[in-house]
Amino acid sequence: MKKTRILIVFLGLGLLWESIAWYLNLNKESEVSTKLPYLHSVLNSIFQERQLLWQESFATLLNAGTGFVLGAFVGIFIAVIMSYSKLAERVTFPYLILAQMIPVLGLAPIIFGIVRNGDVARIIVSGYITFFPVSVNMLSGLNSVEKEKKDLIFTYAANKFELYRKLLLPAALPGLFSGLKIAAPLSVTAAILVEIMGANSGIGILILRSLYYGSSQAANFWANVMASAWLGILSYILIISIERLFSRWTKIA
Amino acid sequence: MTWDKMMRIFAPAVAGIGFLILWQFQAFHYLLGIEIYQLPVPTSIAEAIADNLDVMLIYSGVTLAEAISGILIGSGIGFFIAIIATIFPKWGAGGLLVLSALNAVPIIALAPIMNVWFGSGIAGKSAVVTIATMAAMAFNSYRGLNDLAPFSLDLMKSYGVSRWKIFFKLRLPNSVPYLMTAFKINVTAGMMGAIISEFFYSSKGLGYLISNSVKVAKMSQGWAGICFAALIGILLYTLITIFEKFALKWHSSQQAIS
Repeated sequence: MKKTRILIVFLGLGLLWESIAWYLNLNKESEVSTKLPYLHSVLNSIFQERQLLWQESFATLLNAGTGFVLGAFVGIFIAVIMSYSKLAERVTFPYLILAQMIPVLGLAPIIFGIVRNGDVARIIVSGYITFFPVSVNMLSGLNSVEKEKKDLIFTYAANKFELYRKLLLPAALPGLFSGLKIAAPLSVTAAILVEIMGANSGIGILILRSLYYGSSQAANFWANVMASAWLGILSYILIISIERLFSRWTKIA
Repeated sequence: MTWDKMMRIFAPAVAGIGFLILWQFQAFHYLLGIEIYQLPVPTSIAEAIADNLDVMLIYSGVTLAEAISGILIGSGIGFFIAIIATIFPKWGAGGLLVLSALNAVPIIALAPIMNVWFGSGIAGKSAVVTIATMAAMAFNSYRGLNDLAPFSLDLMKSYGVSRWKIFFKLRLPNSVPYLMTAFKINVTAGMMGAIISEFFYSSKGLGYLISNSVKVAKMSQGWAGICFAALIGILLYTLITIFEKFALKWHSSQQAIS
């Protein structure tokens, strides 16, 4: 029942899109079609360019994914160190909180200016944008474990390594995943941002290219934008599925 | 002041100053093998701020105007959607799910469209911020309007209170802490949206300053832009926190345990 309702909402939005595009095209001729081309011509463009779209989306996703995985690992590592050493937490935590208040993606052009290599810049920017939410949420997950549980595991003569492996790390999984869910679409955004600034592959290049040709390429441009939007959503869905897999696995264990 | 409290302030301060000193004496340049024209040292960034202070203040104002107008409009629309979803619960869930798809859309893909729709001025950027901030507000306020204390709704209904009164006396006050959370998310997202959309199609604003400085190889000016963007972000966040303390005096989360 819920699924049919969502389907109806989507169909309604599609219909709304078509009728607005029809209305815009009714009154004027050329210029306006850039503002909102027909949904069916956008979908047609997606179908015709599917090979190119697939290829460039894959390049974007690969770079964003590499940065995401690296950033996530560094974030987890730093969070574990911060939970292990009080001093490390004291030193680093205020800066992690500050980083949440500032627009960190603003650094992207500067990093691109330093590295001067589209691929490396994409990975670095996607990586560091992933790092902040992952480390903060992982740390709050690690710190959420009650003291009684820690005391209990120590009475079983567990060492520090076992404490982390058996208690803290599994307990931090929900926190970790909420960080990953925030970070995944951001890492795709970061990769596309660097591509538009000047990498040599990826969906951002397609957006840039179709913008050059103006209103004749409107449907193509919208197709590229929709594909990049879909990439962001896809990254989110990927993380949710991995989370489902993990939570099932931890419940059995 | 106890030793613990002193550590809380001094440890990060010492680390921060140490970081700046290492940066100033080019430790990172040596480690990463980069030149001084690629990564300017803190003193030359400070110089760039002092030299261009008037321009930077104007640009900050432009970016701030885009961010704040977008945040207000976006949060307003988000809140409105949450109210609609609360009134029509059956359709609300579906509508919010569509909106959640919007949340995962890369902001950068919106910038060219908003440029076509609303022009390359402040309005175009403000529209990007509007869309970037809508979903967070809709979600949080929907939770605030619907995650009520157990049995409070039943109690209200047993008194025969009208739906309007339930909304104003129960749902709306209940949502205030959630609204504050949404605003905290949105000030960062809003600044980010404004700056990213200024990277392209613009001639004013901090985002323009950053990307243009990199293009003409004035790196210290770009860093100066970053510094200002960071300061504005921290300022807005702090303002929301202060406002939260003020607005939520009655709420249990703000009352000290005595």
